[in-house]
Amino acid sequence: MARNFFTLMRSSAPSASAHGAATAERPAPPAPPNNMTDGADAGGGVHFDLTLEAVRHEINEEVDIALQLRDVSAFYGSFQAIDRMTMPIPQNRVTALIGPSGCGKSTLLRCFNRMNDLIPGARMEGEITFEGRNLLDPNIDAVEVRRRIGMVFQKPNPFPKSIYENVAFGARINGYSGDMDRLVEDALRRAALWDEVKDELDKSGLALSGGQQQRLCIARAIAVQPEIILMDEPASALDPVATLKIEDLMRELAEEYTIVVVTHNMQQAGRVSDYTAFLLAGEERVGRLVEFGPTQDIFTNPLDQRTEDYITGRYG
Amino acid sequence: MTRVSVAAPSAQLTAFSPRVRIRRGVSIAFMVAALLAIAVSMIMLGALIVEIAVDGAARLFTDGSAVGREARGGAIIADLSTPDGMRWMTWALPVAILLPFIGPRLVNALAPGLPRIAERVMGVIVVAPAAIFVHILYVRFESAYYVEYAKAVGLDGASGNIFQVLAEASGFQIVRLLVVGILVPLAVFAAGWFWAQRMRRPSLIIPTIVIAGWVVYLFMDPWFLSSFPSRQPPEAGIFSAVTGTLYMMVITAAVAFPLGVGAAIYLEEYARRNWFSRMIQVNISNLAGVPSIIYGLLGLQVFVRVLEFERSVLAGACTMALLVMPIIIVSAQEALRTVPPSMREAAYAVGATRWQVIRFHVLPYAFGGMLTGNILAMSRAIGETAPLIAIGALTFIAFLADSPTDDFTVLPIQIFNWVARPQAGFHEIAASAIIVLMVILLLMNAAAIIMRQRTRTDW
Ligand SMILES: Nc1ncnc2c1ncn2[C@@H]1O[C@H](COP(=O)(O)OP(=O)(O)O)[C@@H](O)[C@H]1O
Ligand SMILES: [Mg+2]
Repeated sequence: MARNFFTLMRSSAPSASAHGAATAERPAPPAPPNNMTDGADAGGGVHFDLTLEAVRHEINEEVDIALQLRDVSAFYGSFQAIDRMTMPIPQNRVTALIGPSGCGKSTLLRCFNRMNDLIPGARMEGEITFEGRNLLDPNIDAVEVRRRIGMVFQKPNPFPKSIYENVAFGARINGYSGDMDRLVEDALRRAALWDEVKDELDKSGLALSGGQQQRLCIARAIAVQPEIILMDEPASALDPVATLKIEDLMRELAEEYTIVVVTHNMQQAGRVSDYTAFLLAGEERVGRLVEFGPTQDIFTNPLDQRTEDYITGRYG
Repeated sequence: MTRVSVAAPSAQLTAFSPRVRIRRGVSIAFMVAALLAIAVSMIMLGALIVEIAVDGAARLFTDGSAVGREARGGAIIADLSTPDGMRWMTWALPVAILLPFIGPRLVNALAPGLPRIAERVMGVIVVAPAAIFVHILYVRFESAYYVEYAKAVGLDGASGNIFQVLAEASGFQIVRLLVVGILVPLAVFAAGWFWAQRMRRPSLIIPTIVIAGWVVYLFMDPWFLSSFPSRQPPEAGIFSAVTGTLYMMVITAAVAFPLGVGAAIYLEEYARRNWFSRMIQVNISNLAGVPSIIYGLLGLQVFVRVLEFERSVLAGACTMALLVMPIIIVSAQEALRTVPPSMREAAYAVGATRWQVIRFHVLPYAFGGMLTGNILAMSRAIGETAPLIAIGALTFIAFLADSPTDDFTVLPIQIFNWVARPQAGFHEIAASAIIVLMVILLLMNAAAIIMRQRTRTDW
């Protein structure tokens, strides 16, 4: 089932954007295989060998694939945190990673921008295809990956520098030579923060409220013009009003960026995401993908009993 | 029906139960131990300090026992008691003291929201008169002193005119008049002003310290600070020792700080956590415990003999650099560790390379802590004597070192030398030198504390 629901326009033909030059130097590898090929028998509805394969819903829209995961595993030393996850991250959509804590959501997210490289002893296996190349390939420059796949963290972590400097930093170190003031203003506007801070750009980022700090961090991520923005429970440290603002912002940003958001708040996943992946740690705390599909389907018609249990609140 | 009932305190809770009594007993026992330990050392140290202060003050604020020398304090008092002097004191001193305190408030009140640069320009404009008043006072007292001095030593034409005295004065004395009299007050007041701007409120700390120090200096006998050692205790001074100490400290810091910080950055940011880095780490801790005389022997062999630095400032500074390196490394490592991982992650996440993360984030946030550690390490080095004796630092140095390869002496060695002599006069000036050394140490530690508080970030 569900063989050709993904159209892989982008992955085989990287657009001639500003980043085209970097990609063009090497011959583009063959287009990644359709993600469904090796998971084809998963939807049989009879028996799911969930240690290997997750349930997938059909995707009923034409959507590009920003990231294609194939058998992604991650290890901390000898401990395996996630096991052979295969799924797509649709482009210009919000994809939510949900699951109880400790199931490897953050670990998976941090694979996307090679953040795990920074942890001594961390190791990743499998393939994450981005514009036709495997991000996990050790020959890929992790610094460049992180420039193009931005990240927003659970606890707002602005630099102890001015608001302006917070936003400008990424662009500056990446050799941006255009009009920095405009870039900063633009990023702050997109992060829905401009009106609140435009008169005090040289105030310390730490002087802002928690919600403002988090939007500053989003502005900081946007300022380096990434294609994908990863958010690890971006609202979990915020009050309800600030949380709503961040959620609205995510919906707006999804028009231009691909967003992957980790959350363990079901309502939030339901409100903001287009696609949802449900992860669960099985025996020996190894995280596995249980179910992936359009959020609507996952929430109204979960195919796996455990997904249903989790969504209806029967899990932790 | 709602009823608020307050439970009566139960007898069991209020009475001393045996367990409470035991716990009290234990805490009292620890308190007694602590008090004993602290009291004994405090009383002994206190007695020592009082003795040193009494002895040392005699020479620092000389009362005319010095051959051919008039007490400076006396000259100032004499000058102040003239009607002219009284007039100066009644308005110049208050202006000098109050302006830096009131100035920032005044400017903020009159013109709130000035751009920062304008604030600073205004600051200097407001502060300048204060510095000029300080200068006037200084010159007055200094000239009074020089005049008295000139009379005492029978200088030609010394009829009480400062210019005639200056004509006889050495270049150094003229430089001192200008630098100490105007540059120092101006710089200090301006620094106080900037500090006040940063803190968004007028700060009294720096001007207070400086004015207090300056008043003390006025009453001091400057010849003690600006004379070379001598065979006559009243003639002897610590000029070569103080400059030697400063000279050595500058070179020590210049050698040890970059190396130590570099090592700390390597260990914290680059080194893998394996047996090799663990071995280095353990050895650094061990080096911190090596007796300083051993470093002296090492310095004697390596720097004095093999590298042929002779018994020079350079050899001493390199030895001291080795001695304090472990302290600098460990404190720099601690400073680096206080930078939260979330800051590094934030920087990495916008595509920074490791060096960019260190250069633009880790180092700036940790720099205050590193400097603090460096100052503390320097204050350790400033009091060290043994390694310098081992490398053969000379004690009778009647000249200034002009190059790093010259012979030199430092304060603790000078003190050691004077204390070791039989004459009581030398013991007195040794006490004076100890006071100077302690003031330098206290200033360094105060600087370290201020720096630590200023650069602390609440993440
Ligand atoms: N730096 C690390 N070192 C070792 N184990 C880790 C590390 N980070 C996470 N883990 C482990 O990996 C598993 C997944 O963690 P994580 O990805 O943080 O889960 P989640 O974000 O879903 O709560 C957990 O069992 C956790 O203990
Ligand atoms: Mg997490």
